[in-house]
Amino acid sequence: MAQELLDRYLKNVAKVLPEAQREDILQELREDIRSEVEDKERELGRTLSEAEQMAVLKQRGNPFALAARYRQDDRSVAFGKRLIGPVLFPFYVKVLSFNLGLTAVVLGTIFLALGLSGQNVSSGSMLSTSLLQLLIQFGIVTFIFTLVERQSAKNPDKWDLSGTGGGLRFKKIDMSVDPTPMPRISRLESVSIIIACTVALIWLTGVRSYPFLILGPAAAFLKLAPIWYHVYVPIVLLTVAEIARATINLVKPDWVLFRQVYGLFVHAGGLLLVYYLIRAGVWVAAEQAGDYARGVSITNQLIYYGLLVTGALSGAMLLVRLMRVIRGAKGGAGGVGGAGRQVMPRAR
Amino acid sequence: MTHGTNHSELFENLRLELRRGSLVLAVLAALKKEQYGYTLRKTLELQGMAIDEGTLYPLLRRLESQGLLVSEWREEEKRNKRFYQLSTEGKAILKQLLGEWESINESLRGLV
Repeated sequence: MAQELLDRYLKNVAKVLPEAQREDILQELREDIRSEVEDKERELGRTLSEAEQMAVLKQRGNPFALAARYRQDDRSVAFGKRLIGPVLFPFYVKVLSFNLGLTAVVLGTIFLALGLSGQNVSSGSMLSTSLLQLLIQFGIVTFIFTLVERQSAKNPDKWDLSGTGGGLRFKKIDMSVDPTPMPRISRLESVSIIIACTVALIWLTGVRSYPFLILGPAAAFLKLAPIWYHVYVPIVLLTVAEIARATINLVKPDWVLFRQVYGLFVHAGGLLLVYYLIRAGVWVAAEQAGDYARGVSITNQLIYYGLLVTGALSGAMLLVRLMRVIRGAKGGAGGVGGAGRQVMPRAR
Repeated sequence: MTHGTNHSELFENLRLELRRGSLVLAVLAALKKEQYGYTLRKTLELQGMAIDEGTLYPLLRRLESQGLLVSEWREEEKRNKRFYQLSTEGKAILKQLLGEWESINESLRGLV
């Protein structure tokens, strides 16, 4: 059987397997699949065709669903009936953690600034603001994942490992060697990015009209500085660009180089925005000129340091990404359409 | 949906339910003799108790964690395979379950 195809299948299985037993289960599954393929080949007196090899894997079902059956915890989200099953649950948790984490950081910064400036904000107000923000994020993410779950439940057998609608293009290779599998972008990763960016987009749209969503109780005496309204459209465009990229990779998961190059531009655009933001010097202002000068100053200072750290980290990450693309181009691996796959001759 | 489709779907669901209840017994009985996963699956299939891999392997792990099976990785034909066999407790449980199964059979025979 094609090592590449088997590796890709098992790689997907591994994503949902319980970590403690992962290697053990994968080894056993690999052995089972190899035994079955050899058995069929002995029976037929020839090697299996590509379609027959794929059928052996198809028979085992969706790799995420297969892996979920090993999870004894059966993690899911239910409200009466099941909304998000064990297959999507790990990805749901990842997206939710990211969104809630980001919201917590923003709220934390605001509350810290308020506290340091001596503003009198009641703990009840802080709690209700935090809960409202977290509930909004939780609701949107859960709703979108519920829709995805419903859609995938309608078509449990609609999956493939190629990302190109079943058009597998692998060569027969020896299973006892260790070739590098062709790089692919996980479809669930793409779906997760689409969901996270859509939530961010909805939130951004809301923040423009309701600064309360980002400033919390401080919205009563603070307002966003004009720079945010200047960068609003570019931020939305970058978010939409990332959704477009993830949608393309959902359809073409083997376009790894596309993601890398496209990602460089989006990343550079983001860095440029951070630069413009840093240059602005003022990010929040008092609702009434002259009021809350100390609170405004501390909040601006915190935002400044936050932007500096974000800019430095983002710049370093951009360099790493750039080096990766250059290295990939030199090695010829992971190109658009899957260039650079490494295969070995079959030894029987 | 036609009445015929309803009937066959209903029968299939009930049939699967009935067989699912017997799977543990079948797996335990087949593992009186040491086997690795794939040969166990073939043995069950030959005896008319086909079980898919996604059900069998998690079941084997569950039975092992319950102490009914023991397993070990061993090399056979130059490949590492995980062999399963009934544990002492597994043997005792199998004996009890077989008794229960016989008793259910008896009762059903009396009813039908």
